[in-house]
Amino acid sequence: MLLEVRDLHVEFHTRDGVAKAVNGVSYGVDAGETLAVLGESGSGKSVTAQAVMGILDIPPGRITGGEVVFQGRDLLRLKEDERRRVRGAGMAMIFQDALSSLNPVLSVGDQLGEMFTVHRGMSRKDARAKAVELMDRVRIPAARERVKQYPHQFSGGMRQRIMIAMALALEPALIIADEPTTALDVTVQAQVMELLAELQREYRMGLILITHDLGVVADVADRIAVMYAGRIVESAPVHDIYKAPAHPYTRGLLESIPRLDQKGQELYAIKGLPPNLMSIPPGCAFHPRCPLARDVCRTDEPPLYEVSPTRGSACHFWRECMDD
Amino acid sequence: MTEPILEVSGLVKHYPLTRGVVFRKQVGAVRAVDGVDFRLGRGETLGIVGESGCGKSTVAKMLVNLERPTAGSIRYKGEDITRLSGRALKAVRRNIQMVFQDPYTSLNPRMTVGDIIGEPYDIHPEVAPKGDRRRRVRELLDVVGLNPEYINRYPHQFSGGQRQRIGIARGLALRPEVIVADEPVSALDVSVQAQVINLMDRLQSEFELAYVFIAHDLSIVRHISDRVGVMYLGRIVETGTDTEIYEHPTHPYTQALLSAVPVPDPEAREHRERIILSGDVPSPTNIPSGCRFRTRCWKAQERCAREVPALAVPAWFEAAGGPAAHDSACHFAEEKHVVPAEGHRDGPRGHGDGPWGHGGGPG
Repeated sequence: MLLEVRDLHVEFHTRDGVAKAVNGVSYGVDAGETLAVLGESGSGKSVTAQAVMGILDIPPGRITGGEVVFQGRDLLRLKEDERRRVRGAGMAMIFQDALSSLNPVLSVGDQLGEMFTVHRGMSRKDARAKAVELMDRVRIPAARERVKQYPHQFSGGMRQRIMIAMALALEPALIIADEPTTALDVTVQAQVMELLAELQREYRMGLILITHDLGVVADVADRIAVMYAGRIVESAPVHDIYKAPAHPYTRGLLESIPRLDQKGQELYAIKGLPPNLMSIPPGCAFHPRCPLARDVCRTDEPPLYEVSPTRGSACHFWRECMDD
Repeated sequence: MTEPILEVSGLVKHYPLTRGVVFRKQVGAVRAVDGVDFRLGRGETLGIVGESGCGKSTVAKMLVNLERPTAGSIRYKGEDITRLSGRALKAVRRNIQMVFQDPYTSLNPRMTVGDIIGEPYDIHPEVAPKGDRRRRVRELLDVVGLNPEYINRYPHQFSGGQRQRIGIARGLALRPEVIVADEPVSALDVSVQAQVINLMDRLQSEFELAYVFIAHDLSIVRHISDRVGVMYLGRIVETGTDTEIYEHPTHPYTQALLSAVPVPDPEAREHRERIILSGDVPSPTNIPSGCRFRTRCWKAQERCAREVPALAVPAWFEAAGGPAAHDSACHFAEEKHVVPAEGHRDGPRGHGDGPWGHGGGPG
């Protein structure tokens, strides 16, 4: 396993109380594999990724338990300077909003080149040549001319390509992409996802794709982990989960999206709202919104039951969820 | 179509680009909307889809008179509202209301929910006498699925989905006949989107509303719309019923757009033909000659640079009839099926009366 997150816990201490953002998350990614982490806002999907990457704001954040084992080492035990060497060279991250993640007063060539001058000790001239090469690789037309331009001179799709180029620069073993195409138009989204998938195959990288979009997941993922209120509620190979979801939350999400291939009647809607992380409901966190909830759900937190050797569901009644 | 309540023709909005401070002279224009025509029937939903910068939000703003068109007309029950002013304009505005995209910035944080929803009555006091307003606001809260007791709360005390309900209640306050909704669910989480869409569906039949529903999400637009218009760079390039557009698209842009939508079915990724467009949308300050889509079109020929294709039923389809015979602004319109069937979603799921039946309570 390239990366293994084990029983990770993250809290945020605020004036109003303690928000339990991540409550015992475990997942793993192999080289060449794509794991999609699916969840809505507040599910803990991005916080988990930030903890893995080592870019969590501490304080107010605090990692209260767990391990992040990457290439055999627990990253949470490393010193900050060792950690910095892993970032960039070992794993890299792509963010949703390329415009605010790029420095507006540096040319894209300087920003790409920085990866090589800082991490590899290259001269500025060599780093510039590397930047052009990377821009070619992510198929930015006229790379030699555009390397001198600034982020605002690029379109949204091109900026996201620059982010991808920057993540790829040191050929990391793992890429974490946090909603990489959410801000893009659908035709551009298709271009960027295809590019990312192709580069991943070429370099045999592990990819963690964080998203709320069940369509994007179906397009690219090998495995999927569904998060709700800071926990993984279902984990499965991608084909299984769409065929027969084993958790009422996953099922509710799938039922509630309108179809492109036919006009439906009224949509199924999950009732209520996601919980407040300062007061997560006891028992199963999803029980107030669940159509299958019974007494036991209000008191006993479900473990991740084994549905099959490759699948898990944190629902006491997963069989019922899959059956009817 | 039923009798049109709204008829838009030749609608244009250009924003001038100027140079110089003292002697300002116009050096060009952003052609945000560049000739749009459509009709909206009573109680009907027209969906408008397109990518960012295509002009769909500018159309919305002109419909509710937040922007004055550069040219063209918007007829409400036969009367051109772009020429109205003063009292006559105010009377028409009552009947065309708007729901905005972002429920966080479109509600005043310093006003209570009761004041927000009741504010339209300050401008149109003839709709509700002063003593009756609180009762009406409570009723509206109930109609959109919020507890009427919440009347004295402030927007920050509500979630995104609840705030969008407040925005909808405000839109309904004056009992309009037309609601223009600009991306009303795109800021919401997936599990909350369905609640708001169902609410809009229900309100439509309850109050006989006509919707202009503007969105970039093609699945949601199909779900809610009777007819759909696809916009590209300031123009509608194809329009028809939902079946005509989704099952029998004939314009290359519509085909590319539909083929790029990720569908929640992993089976689809193997047998699906994707049309990946090259390049980006051209700038609206510098629109290509002839067909504006030609710079990204795989079918473009010399004729496309010379002649602007009209939005009409292509002659070769008109003769044959059938669902391919709908308006499409392409010299070389051809039918192409691009939406994959989501087979695994057929069967009992989503159709039963069990726990997974339709509906689900409001939030």
